[in-house]
Amino acid sequence: MTQTTVMENEPGRFRQAMAWLHTWGGLVASWALFAIFLTGTIGVFDDDITHWMNPERNAIGEFDPQSSTQQQRIDAVHMGEAYLREIAPQSHFWRIRLPSEMDPAITVSWEDEKAAFQQARLHPQTGQVIPAQQERATQGGHHFVHMHFEFHAGMAGIWLVGFFTMIMLVALVSGIIIHKRIFKDFFTFRPGKGQRSWLDAHNASSVLSLPFQLMIAYTGLVVFVSIYMPAGVLANYDNPQTFFAEVFNQPEHRPETGIEAEVYPLTELLLKAETQMQKPAGLINVEHPGDSSAVARVLGVFDKDKNTGRLLFLSSGTVFLDAVTGDFIHLEAPETFDKSQAFAAQRVMRTLHFANFGGYTVRWIYFILGMAGTVMMATGAILFMVKRRQRSLNEFGAQTPRIYRLIEILNISAISGLMIACVAYFWVNRLLPLEMTERASWEIKWFFYIWLGSLLHAAWRPAARAWIEQLAGFAALCLLLPVINWLTTGQHLLQFFAQADWSSVGLELTVLVFGLLGLWTVRVLLRRQKKRRATNAIYKTHTETA
Amino acid sequence: MTLSYSGRIFSLVLAATIGGYLFTSAVMILIAAILPMSRADAVITSALLSFAIYTAVIIWVFAVKNAIRAWSGLLFATLVIGGIGLLLTEWLR
Repeated sequence: MTQTTVMENEPGRFRQAMAWLHTWGGLVASWALFAIFLTGTIGVFDDDITHWMNPERNAIGEFDPQSSTQQQRIDAVHMGEAYLREIAPQSHFWRIRLPSEMDPAITVSWEDEKAAFQQARLHPQTGQVIPAQQERATQGGHHFVHMHFEFHAGMAGIWLVGFFTMIMLVALVSGIIIHKRIFKDFFTFRPGKGQRSWLDAHNASSVLSLPFQLMIAYTGLVVFVSIYMPAGVLANYDNPQTFFAEVFNQPEHRPETGIEAEVYPLTELLLKAETQMQKPAGLINVEHPGDSSAVARVLGVFDKDKNTGRLLFLSSGTVFLDAVTGDFIHLEAPETFDKSQAFAAQRVMRTLHFANFGGYTVRWIYFILGMAGTVMMATGAILFMVKRRQRSLNEFGAQTPRIYRLIEILNISAISGLMIACVAYFWVNRLLPLEMTERASWEIKWFFYIWLGSLLHAAWRPAARAWIEQLAGFAALCLLLPVINWLTTGQHLLQFFAQADWSSVGLELTVLVFGLLGLWTVRVLLRRQKKRRATNAIYKTHTETA
Repeated sequence: MTLSYSGRIFSLVLAATIGGYLFTSAVMILIAAILPMSRADAVITSALLSFAIYTAVIIWVFAVKNAIRAWSGLLFATLVIGGIGLLLTEWLR
């Protein structure tokens, strides 16, 4: 072999290796990535979903930030403080969130003896825990966001999502390398041609949204950069807290002393902080209440208008106060960004990922591009099987048919099964009784049970039937959602229109559109199946007569 | 010693994930040490770049397709780059 042939073969070999990496890395990660992408895309509208899922909340009353007086805020802090002193006098952490536009209730949270976060919601007028009839206990849209970044599995989930996101970056780069005709394929779609069509759909959805996919994967990793990539911090700092204090330009975390000390009245701290910030407060945190090291942090209300169109959010204002003596410690002035420049870069990437910089226009663009990414994952996983259904590549020897069947089952439950679980989550929200204990976590448990059910169904039925049945189920759940909402709460689309409740209008209309898409897919699949059966019948009669 | 096909794939995957992560960490430490910025800024900047480095290393491992070459290359580079990085971190701090 001469030198030139080696050189000529080099790119071909490289591309071959990348094709292998893209196929197998992509397949292994595609199920998890489909889940991350679908829930993340839905999670773009988390607040609107929470609003729809909690129809009783509107009964607590509206909150108008313009007419909120200091006395009202003092009363709210007073009620929250009374509740916390009563229920969690010995705690590592207290938080009181004051009523806001998004949520008219007072939300108190604390860390219990087992270091678990607890939360209670208090009525803004009475300070009593809001009864179940006046509020549906639900995680709302946060469920999708938590699925998206941690699969509801805490730190282990964050690492898993990071792992799969790295595979996504690798799959994107290897996909670009193996893709020779990136611009031509951009305009190529050959429908009704089996494997070729699936490849076209995979290419089109990927190429069309490629810059977005690269951006969203990279910025997603950057959101948790301090967890995923701690090497630099560990090499440079003996205590990570010193690093964070430097980055945030804030006083370092005070370690607990173990000496008991009474918490300074939080209402007084609120007054001092508002005077310092020259603006209303929205939230109070107390670290180590009851300990002599206690520090209170008072945050100003987030001003949406001042941050619209900005990628680098300005501070809402934060005041640090000694929560034992009431002494002033540190002020972070509102509408400034007095932190390190590299940290600003991280914040910008985070804002890019969270899609919260440009209102609904940006959210819809993210939703559409996120759906393109979801289609990219799904078509990739399906393409893998379509290719092998026609002709087995025999990668696993005698085990090949069994492993193909397993991949097929996972494809069905990961794609159509998860779609069912997502829309069924809305049904569960309407169907579970209001008075149920642990209601919010039961909603999420049902989400997983239904998903598991789809896996069992896929394992039980032949693949072609399972796809059709699950997609038909999905379509039915989508199309009937407004009906079940009307039957259980009495609310309906016309009423949402009349009340200009655009969050609810948007949710139900979007779900209806997905129901129609599901129905259309079922029709296409049924027709194709009929055609195939007819061809098989002709073939059969031919062979019989011959 | 010859490995089976699945054994070769497994060792490549390990080289890419764990070897690649160690290498990326070493490069991060070096970058954080030599960037002419404040310490916190340099640490963040290197961390923000790390995912691109990691991606490139994973691609490299699968392009090499040889676990022994991939592992030896990665470990050697990690020790040298990480060692220099740690020494510079001490000296320049």
